[in-house]
Amino acid sequence: MKIRTRLTWWYAGILIVSLLVIGVGTYQEISEQLRHSHRREPAEHALSETGEMIFQVGLPAVALGLLGGWWLTRRALAPVTKLTEAIKKIHERNLREPLSRTRNGDELDQLTKVFNDTLMRLDDSFNRIREFTLHASHELKTPLTVLRGETETALRDDSLSPAERERFVSLLDELRRLTLIVDGLTLLAKADAGQITLAFEPVRLDELVRDNFADAQILAEPQAIQVELTTCEEISVHGDRHRLRQLLLNLVDNAVKYNQPHGGVIMSLLKSGDMAQFTIVNTGAGILPEILPRVFDRFFRGDPAHSPTTDGCGLGLSIAKWIVSAHNGTIEIGSVPSKLTTVTVHLPLHTNK
Amino acid sequence: MVAGFLRFNNSQDMRVLVVEDEKKTASFVRKALQAEGFAVDVCHNGDDALAAARATPFDAIVLDIMLPGRDGLSILRQLRERKDTAPVLLLSARGEVSERVEGLNAGADDYLPKPFELAELVARVRALTRRGGENKSIVLRVADLTLDTVTHKAQRGGTEIELTAREYRLLEFLMRSAGRPGGRMMILEKVWDYDFDPGTNLVDVYIRRLREKIDADFEPKLLHTIRGSGYVLRETP
Repeated sequence: MKIRTRLTWWYAGILIVSLLVIGVGTYQEISEQLRHSHRREPAEHALSETGEMIFQVGLPAVALGLLGGWWLTRRALAPVTKLTEAIKKIHERNLREPLSRTRNGDELDQLTKVFNDTLMRLDDSFNRIREFTLHASHELKTPLTVLRGETETALRDDSLSPAERERFVSLLDELRRLTLIVDGLTLLAKADAGQITLAFEPVRLDELVRDNFADAQILAEPQAIQVELTTCEEISVHGDRHRLRQLLLNLVDNAVKYNQPHGGVIMSLLKSGDMAQFTIVNTGAGILPEILPRVFDRFFRGDPAHSPTTDGCGLGLSIAKWIVSAHNGTIEIGSVPSKLTTVTVHLPLHTNK
Repeated sequence: MVAGFLRFNNSQDMRVLVVEDEKKTASFVRKALQAEGFAVDVCHNGDDALAAARATPFDAIVLDIMLPGRDGLSILRQLRERKDTAPVLLLSARGEVSERVEGLNAGADDYLPKPFELAELVARVRALTRRGGENKSIVLRVADLTLDTVTHKAQRGGTEIELTAREYRLLEFLMRSAGRPGGRMMILEKVWDYDFDPGTNLVDVYIRRLREKIDADFEPKLLHTIRGSGYVLRETP
C-alpha cells in the first residue's frame, strides 16, 4: 500500500473518532437540556449553556485531533528515521550488506530498494578499482623485471664509457624507485582486497623500537640530525613482527627525510591506558594544517613547493596507516609549520588471555 | 671479461637450470649466470623442466612460480617427490609472504620476488651452489682484516675496530661470503631480517660507515661496490 493511501486511511480514522466525540458530547448535552426544559430558563441562560457545551465537547476534539496528528506524523516518519540510522552505518567495507526492506511496496520500500541497488553498483566500482590496481601492479612487474635485467646486463659491459655507465646507473636508480612504487601499490591493493593475512604473535614492541632507534641514528648521521629515545617502557603488543618493523622504519625514515640539517628526532614508547603509545617528533618544515588530513592519502605529496626532493615512493604513510589499522590501532599526525611534526601511534597491548 | 672468466673459472663445472616462460627474462638471466661461469640450460615450461632435471643433475634450479600449464610449486613438489635435492630458487611476481612460506615448505631453498636485481639473483644462485662454501671458521679473515665471531672483535693491521651490533652482523655476513657479491635485498634479509625493500638507503649508509671503519685508514681497500647493485669484501677491486 502506498504511503499516501495509508496516511489517508489513518487520517480518516482520526476524523471519524473526533466526529464521534463531538457527536456523542453534543447528543448528551442536548438530551440533558431537553430533560430540564420545563424550567423555562431565560434566553441568556440557554446561550451560556450552548457556549459551555461547545467548550466541553470542542476541546477534547481539538486535543484528540492534535494528538492524532502528532501520532500520524510520527508513524509516517518512523521508517525514515530507521533508514537514516541504517544508512549512517554504511562505509566502504560493508557495501555488500543491504539495508533491510519492509517489502510492503510503499515509497520508502522503493527508496530502500533503489538505495540498495546503488550500493551494489558502488561496491562493484570499488571492487573494480581494487582489482584494477592489483592487476595493474601485477602486469607492471614483468616488463619491470625485463627492464631492470636488461639495464643491469648493459652495465656489465666493460667497454661502457663513464658517461654511459652513469646514465645506466641513473636509469637503474629510477627503476628501483619504480619497483618500490609497484611493490607498495601491490601491497595496498592486496590489503584493500583483504588478501593479506598478518602473522599475529606477542611482540616486544620496546625491543623493536630500540632496534629501530639504532638504525635511526645511522640514517640521521649524514645530515647531523640528533636522534633521542626518551622513554622506552617494556611493552608487549599482539602483532605481526615484520609489519611492525616496517611501520617503525617507515616513520623513522620520514622523520629523517623531512628534517633539516642539524635537526632532531625524538622517539618515545610508553603505556597509555590499555594501549601502547609510540610517538616520534621531528624538526623540519612541518605540514600546513590544510593538507594535514590528506597526508595518509596515496601518492599525496603536499605542497610541491615546500616538499624537498625525496626519493620515497609516496606510499609510506598510506602503508603505515594500513599496518596500524590492521593491528586495530590508530595513527595521528600533528604539526607546527616550520617547527616540528609529531606522529603518534596507539596499538592495543597484548593481554595474557 | 677474460679476467672475470678466470676469476670464476671454478664454477665452470656448475650447471644451472633456469625455468622461466618469459623469454627476455630467461635470456638475461642466462647471460648473467653464464658470465659468472655457470653452464646454463633454459626451459620455458614445467614439463620440459621436469624432463631436463631427470636427464641431468643440476647444481641449482631457478624456478619461476607462474608458468603456463604446470606451475612452479607443483614442479618443485614433483622434484622433491622423486628425491631430486638440487637447490631451488623460486621467482615470483606475486611476492606474498604466504607464497614464500608455501614455497619454502614445498622444499625450495630460497625465494626472490620479481622484479629483482640481477646481481641479487646471481648472488643467491652462487650461495645455493655453495661454491667455495660458506666460511664457518670462528675467526674470519680477509687480507689483514680479522673478525672474531666469539668475542665480536674486529681488527685490521693490529688496530682494534669498534663495531655496533648491527655493523658487526653486516661485517660478519660480508666476511662469511667474502669474494661473492651480496645484493642489497640479500643483505637486508640476512642482516636486518627484513623481507621487504624498505625503500631507505639503510644498507648504503651502513656500508659507508663500515667502509670508514675498516678501509679509510688502511690499504688495500676491501669493501667494494659492484655497479650500484651489490657489495663485496675482497682484496682485488
